[in-house]
Amino acid sequence: MTAGTQSFRAAGEESQSTRQGDLSTGTTPIPRVVRNDSAVIRVDGVSRWFGSVVAVSDVTFDIMPGITGLLGPNGAGKTTLLRMMTGLATTSRGTVTVFGEPVRDNPPLYKRIGVMSEHETVYGFMKGREFVEMMGRLRGVRDLAGAVDKAIALVDLADAQYRPMDTYSRGMRQRMRLAATLVHEPDLLILDEPLNGADPRQRVHFKRLLQQLASEGKTIVLSSHILEEVEQLADTVLLIVNGKLAASGGFRAIRAALNQRPYHVRVICDAPRRLAAEVVKLPSVDAVNMDPDGAIVVLSRNVQDLQIELPRLAQSARISLRRVEPLDDSLESVFGYLVEQ
Amino acid sequence: MGPVYRLTLRQLSGRWRLAIMTVLSSMPVIIAVLMLRSDDAPSVWEFESAILSAMLAGSIAPLVVLAIAAAAMGNEVEDRTLANLTLSPIPRWKIAVPKLLAVITLAAPFMAVSAFLTSWVAFIGDVQASIAVTVSAVVGVALYAAAFVWLGLVSTQAIGIGLLYIVLWEGFFSGFVSGVRLLSIRHYAIALMHAMDPRRFAPVEHPNVTVALVLVTIVFGGFLLMSVRRLRRMDVP
Repeated sequence: MTAGTQSFRAAGEESQSTRQGDLSTGTTPIPRVVRNDSAVIRVDGVSRWFGSVVAVSDVTFDIMPGITGLLGPNGAGKTTLLRMMTGLATTSRGTVTVFGEPVRDNPPLYKRIGVMSEHETVYGFMKGREFVEMMGRLRGVRDLAGAVDKAIALVDLADAQYRPMDTYSRGMRQRMRLAATLVHEPDLLILDEPLNGADPRQRVHFKRLLQQLASEGKTIVLSSHILEEVEQLADTVLLIVNGKLAASGGFRAIRAALNQRPYHVRVICDAPRRLAAEVVKLPSVDAVNMDPDGAIVVLSRNVQDLQIELPRLAQSARISLRRVEPLDDSLESVFGYLVEQ
Repeated sequence: MGPVYRLTLRQLSGRWRLAIMTVLSSMPVIIAVLMLRSDDAPSVWEFESAILSAMLAGSIAPLVVLAIAAAAMGNEVEDRTLANLTLSPIPRWKIAVPKLLAVITLAAPFMAVSAFLTSWVAFIGDVQASIAVTVSAVVGVALYAAAFVWLGLVSTQAIGIGLLYIVLWEGFFSGFVSGVRLLSIRHYAIALMHAMDPRRFAPVEHPNVTVALVLVTIVFGGFLLMSVRRLRRMDVP
């Protein structure tokens, strides 16, 4: 499975393919994953357990340049996975390589990596600028003053840079931490829940900044349990559920891959009762409900066919469709469905 | 190493911590003065046993060092700031060594002044004896620092374990079980003190100065290496 391309596969589908491959060829199983030589991060069969608790189970994926979102509910294993990807934690099984090298116990690699953990790892007694300077020194930045100015300007905190960090709001601390993460201009950014504590204006700024960095060729991995964040930012999504990779690929690709999932489509027309009576006969439709406001809600497990059949039906029945909208075309609903599975 | 050293100095220079260190390190001086002012002034042997060995080397020095050394790494682990250092492209010894040096930089002056003043008062201005006591106290500080910095990395209960070690091992067992003295920082310091001023302090047999010097090197280097190894292998929170 290669994240970063438009290819996609749900986890259940992946295992099914593997089994089919084994059966069909008899000798040569279909490779479980398709690997990409230009992967920035390669996670290969990684598991991590704490005693009898399995936090991450046999996860394999590649991450390519661009923005990749690691999505999953709290406790899904995202942070554990990110910690293994940064080398902070060891794997119980499997390997993680970054830029082709093992990330664990490989300090020189951090010249190219910037990591922002979910915790507020700042020193309250330091001024914001001092913190960024210290991180720059630790990472061997040459033009330190220039690099610090640039990083602080990027997060729009120049006015507050000489204030102690314990006087900052949570959002400001997050941004100053991002400046410290960016000060050595890393090629790879790994951000764990980066928008925690940010107000709406800061979120907009943060998103623009990440998009700008991605357009400059950086690889950005960010985790979140807030679906809109990932949906708006990430080119590619990795869905982690119960420590396993539930699906990966583009958001819409994942959405389409889950074709067994029921879709709710709300239809507003000039003859709802007549349309409901006709729509329920369509093979792509499982059920039809009438809303009190006169709209009908169609339940379908084959939305692609429904997209074709519904306009045809309306045209033949001379019914005017005013509005057709999916009710659950968001990561929230995809996510909920995957978690239920 | 500079940024980690300066960072650690700032982290450990809290007002309360310095106040506790000042109170602890002034106690041997005060007690020495009180002992000498009493009607039954102690002999050199009694003074060495009660003040220099049991109190200065066996209690005050390890407590002063524990107050800061356990925090040098332990606080970074607890508040998760250690990741700021381990996610930097520097070898792990460049984290462990400056941390240890910062602890010694902070603790050694307190203990050196305390040891010098205590012996200066007790031995009525005897410079050689005062220097012997001071140097051995600083060596003790360095050894305790190496041990407690490592302890702060491997346990979240470093203060509690450190206190048990000070009371039971250095204070109790090493006092009357001769074999334990081979693994007692307090007795290494005492052996060095005796060697530096044989005129004032009678030579000790167990451990003798040669063994003590070898063990000082092994203990200091061993704990430092274990800290580096721990930093390389641990899951950093």
